[in-house]
Amino acid sequence: MARTKMVLAGEGGQGVQSVAKILVEAGYEAGKQVLYIPNFGVEQRGGVSIAFCQIADEKIGEPRFAKGDIVIMLSDRAIDRCDTYVDENAIVVYDTSVCTKKPECKCKKIIGIDANRIANEQLSARVFNIIILGVLIAATNVLEVSDIKNAMELALGKKFDAKPELRELNYKALEMGMNMIKDKVGA
Amino acid sequence: MVKKLIEKDTKMFLTGNEVLAYAANAAEADFMYGYPITPQNEIMHTWCKLLPKTEAGFLQTEDEISAGFSTIGGILAGKRAFTATAGPGNVIMQDAQSMAEMMRIPFVCAVMQRGGPSTATVIYAQQETRLTCFGGNGEGFRIVYSTAGHQDLYDYMIKAFNTAWTYKFPTYVLADGYQGKMREPVMLYDPKSRGIEMVPVTPYLLGEGEIGKDRKSVHLRNTYNMEEELMEVLDQYQEDYNKMAEEVAEYQEYKAEDAEILVIAHGIVARSAVTAIDELRAKGIKAGLFRPITIRPLAVKPLRAAVQRAKQILFTESANGQLAQMVLEKLYGLTTPYSTLYKMGVGVTGDDIVQKVEQMVKTPATV
Repeated sequence: MARTKMVLAGEGGQGVQSVAKILVEAGYEAGKQVLYIPNFGVEQRGGVSIAFCQIADEKIGEPRFAKGDIVIMLSDRAIDRCDTYVDENAIVVYDTSVCTKKPECKCKKIIGIDANRIANEQLSARVFNIIILGVLIAATNVLEVSDIKNAMELALGKKFDAKPELRELNYKALEMGMNMIKDKVGA
Repeated sequence: MVKKLIEKDTKMFLTGNEVLAYAANAAEADFMYGYPITPQNEIMHTWCKLLPKTEAGFLQTEDEISAGFSTIGGILAGKRAFTATAGPGNVIMQDAQSMAEMMRIPFVCAVMQRGGPSTATVIYAQQETRLTCFGGNGEGFRIVYSTAGHQDLYDYMIKAFNTAWTYKFPTYVLADGYQGKMREPVMLYDPKSRGIEMVPVTPYLLGEGEIGKDRKSVHLRNTYNMEEELMEVLDQYQEDYNKMAEEVAEYQEYKAEDAEILVIAHGIVARSAVTAIDELRAKGIKAGLFRPITIRPLAVKPLRAAVQRAKQILFTESANGQLAQMVLEKLYGLTTPYSTLYKMGVGVTGDDIVQKVEQMVKTPATV
């Protein structure tokens, strides 16, 4: 049974949960089995925020899984907390422009990206999480870009209609995220 | 009469909290009383968002003590009322829940467990299992359905109202923060389409006409003068409870028939067990699941039969053996050895169970 387990972890406010919602919505609309658990503390901002997402072809049993196929770490604290979700088959992605250290875990591959810097310098800090979404779909290959775009339309359609340039900005962020990792994942 | 939102089968992608609000509407509930506490807030939020369409009622009270008692008030006035809470909110609502037991009020409450003791985490646990079954200063005259995902939440929330109004014992849908917050597909339906008729609701108080002339006075007692007077009432309650238990108790077995290692788990942990059992079976290990759906009352006969068939038992919970304690009492006299996998306030994964069972195959339990 094909099942992809994803962990997205960052600081509260970085948009981790927003991106997870778009991701699973896309999976649902594409007719996949999906399950998403948000995990966060009592703070509105600042705590470690983790999204556990699963996309599968068949009905999903366990809601919480032990190890992710891909684990994305977007802050130092996320690196500290997420070591436990990584095993030798996992791909680990971290943001070199946010984290001050490199994850040290035994895994298939550790990939550094600088999404935060690129978002700030070339696009807008607000689409940092959309770049991450691009990274995630390119790395996992379980959904089509069109699925994601549909889900973005459901989540952000009203904002896009009011300001069409936002749609372009988000699409661009998505594309940049995908390109950022395309050559790095490998087989 | 409230307006029902779901007329035909509708597949939706929702959080569990949203599912519960839709289920209450499908069950024709007309009033919710509540006080915010994570992770159950979105039951209230969704219920309120739907109010313009459903024309139902909502009251946010000043705390859970008040939410519990006002739910009782609404029911006395003839409303199919309910509430929802979690964690410390569940603790302070116990006073009202005890009153509902004493006065045989069809109190319906969804409990979305979070970590404990006290404030602990807002995320998830199975640490309100004992509290929900036996909280308050009474004998646990309660019915508790433990759900394992969104379809269960919808099915059993509807069922909870009918169970409560049929037997007049407080009835709970016991879930957790994972189920409340997680999103997965669910099929919503009109209960009628499944042959489910909602039990009619009649007011306890506020009847028509003049007391003494047109109708008898209603005397709902919450206090008694004599010890024996109380015991007489409670003995009758116990008899009613035992009779009800046979009709209400539910359980689910998964590959339990020939299981050598039987996992006993409830709620969302039972779902992880299913994942684990498939994996273990593929490796040639005969594992199976017994999942009590009503964790109070327990389906004792099938439980004992399944335990007797197995060579070893594994209790696993996101708590320190709260279900196991209730189950073990019912297994008196059986000698099947057991082992435990308890993660207090933390989710149990399929991998956790696989590893534990493999360990049990190598080194069998001796307890």
